[in-house]
Amino acid sequence: MKPGPFEYHAPHTVADVTALLAEHGDECKPLAGGQSLVPMLALRLTGFPHLVDLNRVDGLSGVERSNGTLVIGAITRQRVLERDPQIAEAVPLLARAAPLIGHFQIRNRGTVGGSLAHADPASELPAVALALGATFDVAGPNGTRSIAAADFFTGTWSTALEPDEIVTAVSFPVRGERTGSAIHEMARRHGDFAIAGAVANMSLDAAGRVSAAAISLFGVASTPVRATGAEAALVGAAPADINTLEIGRLALADQEPTDDIHATGPQRARIAAHVTGIVVARALEEAGR
Amino acid sequence: MTDQAIAITVNGERRKGRTEARTTLADFLRDELALTGTHVGCEHGVCGACTVLLDGEAVRSCLVLAVQADGADITTIEGIGPEPGRLGPVQQAFMECHGLQCGFCTPGFVVSVTSFLAEQPAPTDDEIREMLSGNICRCTGYQGIVAAVHRATELIEEATA
Amino acid sequence: MTTTDAGSAGRFVGQSVRRKEDPRLLTGRGTYVDDMSLPGMLHACFVRSNVAHGRIVSIDCDAARAVDGVVAVLTGTELNVGRGSMQPTLMFEDAANVAVQPLTEGTVLFVGDPVALVVAESRAVAEDAAELVEVNIDMLEAVVGFDAALLEGAPLVHPDKGANVGQDMPVIMPGWDEIKADAAHVVSATFNQHRQTNVPMETRGIVASFDPASGELHAYLSTQNPHEARLVLSRVTGVPEHLVRVTARDVGGGFGQKMFLFRDEQTIGAAAVYLGRSIKWIEDRRENLIASNHARADRTTVELALDADGKLLGAFVDEVEDAGAWPLGSMGGAAPAVGAYFTGAYKLPFLSWHARAVWTNTCQRGAYRGPWMMETTAREQMVDYAARAIGMDPWEWRRRNVVKDADLPYTTPMFMTYDDSISPDATLEQAAQVIDYDAFRAEQRRAFESEGRLLGVGLSLYIEPCAMGMMDPLSTETANVRVMPSGKVSVALGTGSHGQGLETTMAQVVAEELGIDIDDVIVVQGDTASSPFGRGTGGSGSAIIGANACRLASAAVRDKAFAIAAQLMEAAANDLEVSDGRITVKGTPARGIDFAEVARVAYLETAKLPEGMEASLEATHTYKAPPVTWANACHACTVEVDRYTGLVKILRYVVSEDCGKMINPAIVDGQIAGGVVQGIGGVLFEHMIYDPDGNPLATTFMDYLLPTAAEIPTIEIHHIETPAPNPGGHKGVGEGGAIGAPACVFNAVADALALLDVTITDQPLGPREVLDALMAAGH
Repeated sequence: MKPGPFEYHAPHTVADVTALLAEHGDECKPLAGGQSLVPMLALRLTGFPHLVDLNRVDGLSGVERSNGTLVIGAITRQRVLERDPQIAEAVPLLARAAPLIGHFQIRNRGTVGGSLAHADPASELPAVALALGATFDVAGPNGTRSIAAADFFTGTWSTALEPDEIVTAVSFPVRGERTGSAIHEMARRHGDFAIAGAVANMSLDAAGRVSAAAISLFGVASTPVRATGAEAALVGAAPADINTLEIGRLALADQEPTDDIHATGPQRARIAAHVTGIVVARALEEAGR
Repeated sequence: MTDQAIAITVNGERRKGRTEARTTLADFLRDELALTGTHVGCEHGVCGACTVLLDGEAVRSCLVLAVQADGADITTIEGIGPEPGRLGPVQQAFMECHGLQCGFCTPGFVVSVTSFLAEQPAPTDDEIREMLSGNICRCTGYQGIVAAVHRATELIEEATA
Repeated sequence: MTTTDAGSAGRFVGQSVRRKEDPRLLTGRGTYVDDMSLPGMLHACFVRSNVAHGRIVSIDCDAARAVDGVVAVLTGTELNVGRGSMQPTLMFEDAANVAVQPLTEGTVLFVGDPVALVVAESRAVAEDAAELVEVNIDMLEAVVGFDAALLEGAPLVHPDKGANVGQDMPVIMPGWDEIKADAAHVVSATFNQHRQTNVPMETRGIVASFDPASGELHAYLSTQNPHEARLVLSRVTGVPEHLVRVTARDVGGGFGQKMFLFRDEQTIGAAAVYLGRSIKWIEDRRENLIASNHARADRTTVELALDADGKLLGAFVDEVEDAGAWPLGSMGGAAPAVGAYFTGAYKLPFLSWHARAVWTNTCQRGAYRGPWMMETTAREQMVDYAARAIGMDPWEWRRRNVVKDADLPYTTPMFMTYDDSISPDATLEQAAQVIDYDAFRAEQRRAFESEGRLLGVGLSLYIEPCAMGMMDPLSTETANVRVMPSGKVSVALGTGSHGQGLETTMAQVVAEELGIDIDDVIVVQGDTASSPFGRGTGGSGSAIIGANACRLASAAVRDKAFAIAAQLMEAAANDLEVSDGRITVKGTPARGIDFAEVARVAYLETAKLPEGMEASLEATHTYKAPPVTWANACHACTVEVDRYTGLVKILRYVVSEDCGKMINPAIVDGQIAGGVVQGIGGVLFEHMIYDPDGNPLATTFMDYLLPTAAEIPTIEIHHIETPAPNPGGHKGVGEGGAIGAPACVFNAVADALALLDVTITDQPLGPREVLDALMAAGH
């Protein structure tokens, strides 16, 4: 189980990265933490004549907070999310999501940008980015642009990135007042990809009613999805009146998850609804604290 | 595909070698540097047998290319103990608690546990089991390993007291 | 029944001595087969069928042969010529068998069937070239699963055999209909156990080196059984047995997978001889999952007749096993044992059975820790099923039917006699007491009625036949105990320790018998050049066969040492005793001589030896196992089933077991915990699943889910120590955990689901299956 041969590039600047990507087109793949790409290469499920390593590129790693935004460099290791007290304070959902990603040895190497750009529909960070309305800073040969999380995920393992673009950083809004968040998933074993999971981010107004609700689901469709019907039902409600079981059912009303060896589509929907109820309850509880 | 030169520090020693870009760090350590204590159990990043410390952090060496480790500082199972022929506290605890049987997964467990306890010296039973979940053992049922982690915390504390 | 306690432990035997293996394994200095490199060594990669069933139209190797670094691309045309039998020695003469060749020609029979072998300068290059071998196959309809195999007019896996039923053994005893007619209750159910695989953390592998000048073949192997490997390599390659050497140093687990030498390793041996080179082949994990061996895959229908008190009147068992495409050993093999051993720990007046094995277009079935454990799975699951059907608690049912001490010796309806060295009743009571059965029942009711939670408790009781002397090639082990002139001792054994710690336990026995320190003993095994022929390690046999061989050889050495000491000290040999390395006169400890001094004299001052005594101090003993040695245990566990997600959480797991006299309690506990966790994994996580076309769907560790520490509870192990009727009093312990656990976990989940009147009969019990059961019943 050895990868096929490839040419390895280790540029130091984003410009060199995008130039290499532009030059080699489909024959080229950026390599971030490698925790998904390297196994696929080893299993020869995929192969590229050129790999561009992002790990030696200057300026892609680090966490910075400014003007109500937390900016995380794309090559920042996932482990930082659970260790950096600044993150736990500014965007606690990230610190809660990180321990669910694989195992600590994976998170020591896996990157925030890599997980997002890989866009596995069952992974945690894309759902977090979607629920929080994160923004992706993207660089290509012709300059930089921003992509909203809502526009970023286009399908299983596919994103709005052009083949010669990479994510350079992701910006998350800092948690507001009277806001609570939660992530929960059901996986066969600790650290496995979720059969289904949900993220909730809820804010209450001064009167204690829900002023904003964001729910995203993962593992139920080809991308993480927002549960807009459930969100709408929550806004304006008093927490005491909220039936989280019903919210869970509503969240899955317009989803038709598919089968795999671990669960049938209807089972996945049942599990997602259950998990949704849990995260909504937890987020509300935190928001009301 | 031409071979690339690599220089890494392994267990405190500067080592050089040449290899193809596709060679994983695990294979480089085993085949080029003859450090066969790092075991390859699945080659796709699940079993954890190949765990090494890369710049102090536990990683799967089957998911890191050797060329990516150029210039890095690596610790393998051969370098975990205080000196050749002596066991470190985690190794000692595994021996005392029958935390290994066939021994194939053991280097990955010892490296992972060493790294984990450096950060979290007094874990609960649940934290230990969660931490261990990135390494697969097929022999022990994890019973001796969990006990060994508890014991290792005592041995480390005794050594630093 | 007599029980002993730890008070009878010796200085070494009965103590949790730290393992001699551990320092090297803990420091990365073990030597597994992939750690072996030879000068000029080449690397091999198999080209395997990617379809389950099809006729090979052509194999084009030209592009692969042109790859830089490729030395050879071989097919059956080159490698299948003039081969001897590839079957294990145990099954060598089985006429019903299907002949196996190194590389499949004609028709491929499963996804993973090897059709070509690439030999190159590196494994990576061999894989590059393997991708370029063009295998053109005309697909045929695949036979997958019991129903497809047994269907009238089904395609045949082996057309020359005329049927997919490759083994058909009815042992139909007269009178069953009459028994049923008179019974208060007749209960029938069919249980499916799903396909699993051994998954040693070290895959299989071989480095085979052939020297054309000397004609010697040296194979470094990951094997449980080096002498068997030598025999088989000799047969397949034609290299005479004395010119074949097999060396197995550290072996990274096997659980049965490395008991017999598989086809792939034999093919590499043949290729090494064919090319006159050294070749390394290390199975990769995908190959290990899809093409090594699979196991379990049983469908068993059980019919029980019970009287009004729930007492057993008789049983009929219909067992079908899925043997896969090619034989690993004989066709079938385990199915008849499911019938023969079905009695288990119960007083069963009547037993009749029918065992069949079917060929399918799937990976071959092989031995996996308790190869016929379906006898326990089916029986124990049926016990709970039947007890529930007649409204009796499963524990109470077992208490009424279990073989008690007063019933011993007890002869089963299959004419096998349990002597008085078993203790099923005691283990049943201990396991149930420790898990606090009655209190749990109360808590179960409360949690369900007040919170709707689904808790369950399961029991599983079994008797295991260990170290079966009746299987001749697996019945003997020879120990050579050799004292060196300095008094240090080397023990040569034919075993193939692959995690059991035999370097330690065998040394414990020798040190105990010789009265010397364990640090003065080294056990050398796993090398045909240095050890006498032996059965290897498997079948829960090493403690019985290996340890008794060591014990009796050591006793002979001790007798000779006493004879020498008696001469030197002018004492009577039968007045001597030895401990701490010093031979002394009983009752007069001041009169003594060092064991090392005796050894020195035996080699270096032979004139001082008794008249006519042969110089040297060593002995060899071959121990042949009794026909069968019985071990027994009872498992008990409690679970909670999450009715929303289908996840099962094990709350407690208790084992009460009797493996006779323990050599090393820590190692015994390690064997039990490891086996139990494999059994838990089998029920809750592991499933080697095929689609209807015969494509394996669990080809990586992302899909074949092994339990991790986070899913597993502490296994609470309790011992009852009834010595077995052999010199050391030992029984087997390697397989029991894996035999008892699946039914125990299954019964606990079934017990929880029964709260909702949901009935289950099939494993596995992943969330998918649990939710299927709940949702089908409207929950």
